Amino acid sequence: MSQPHVKKSLMLLSIALGGALGTSIRYAINVQTLTTLYPIGTVLENLLGSLLLGVVTGWALARAINPYIKAFLATGFCGTLTTMSTLAADTVFLAEDFSLTSSMTYVLLSVSGGLLLAFLGYAFGVGLAKSKRKEGEQT
Amino acid sequence: MSLLSVGLGGALGAICRYLLGEWVKEKVNNPSIPLAMLIVNLLGSLGLGVFFGVVYGMVPMDVYDDPLFLLIGIGFFGAFTTFSTFSVEAVELIRKRTYLRSFFYVMISIIGSVALFVLGIIGFI
Repeated sequence: MSQPHVKKSLMLLSIALGGALGTSIRYAINVQTLTTLYPIGTVLENLLGSLLLGVVTGWALARAINPYIKAFLATGFCGTLTTMSTLAADTVFLAEDFSLTSSMTYVLLSVSGGLLLAFLGYAFGVGLAKSKRKEGEQT
Repeated sequence: MSLLSVGLGGALGAICRYLLGEWVKEKVNNPSIPLAMLIVNLLGSLGLGVFFGVVYGMVPMDVYDDPLFLLIGIGFFGAFTTFSTFSVEAVELIRKRTYLRSFFYVMISIIGSVALFVLGIIGFI
């Protein structure tokens, strides 16, 4: 387990597994929201992923976390549940086929919501890790 | 079959994001804004634009039954680029009270990704 190439391989495997799972869920949400025409699916995924990554980042800062689990959750799952390239495509699509207002709304909602949820998730993650640590100290 | 395309593209995209990110972090020490994910997102948005331009000649609609779109558009480039790390890193800059850096990071990421996507797609229409 201590050899660097084994560690690297395990890291890549964790990221691949988390990535396959996160992408599959993004795809499933997209398919479920296709009928809305408005790309609400990508907004939901980006907001949810920002919240989750905030929690994981906050937790990892306050408590030790297994690096492979962190890679699976953060780089793999949250990283692929969310996307910037589809956001760019949706922004252009909305400006072309709907209106500039809908395009700007989409971007502003994604960015302000994403940052707010990442911030809240982070605070929640730190709090959760600290309360768990106290529990551990008491028992 | 659809899930296989999506999952495979997603796994590859995530691995490439990690490897490129690590490479950038190794090359550039202490950048003033999170450079690794900025480069990844700009590059991935350009890539999706090129893919759309070459294959569809437009931003495609109703292509969720096209395995190539699922593998490359949703899978690879969707997973290669990321929004969650962008959000968390922007918040990190705010928490460090480097507000101007956070503002620039957000603006460059969003405007740059959209601009490069457009550049990629119009280059091939």
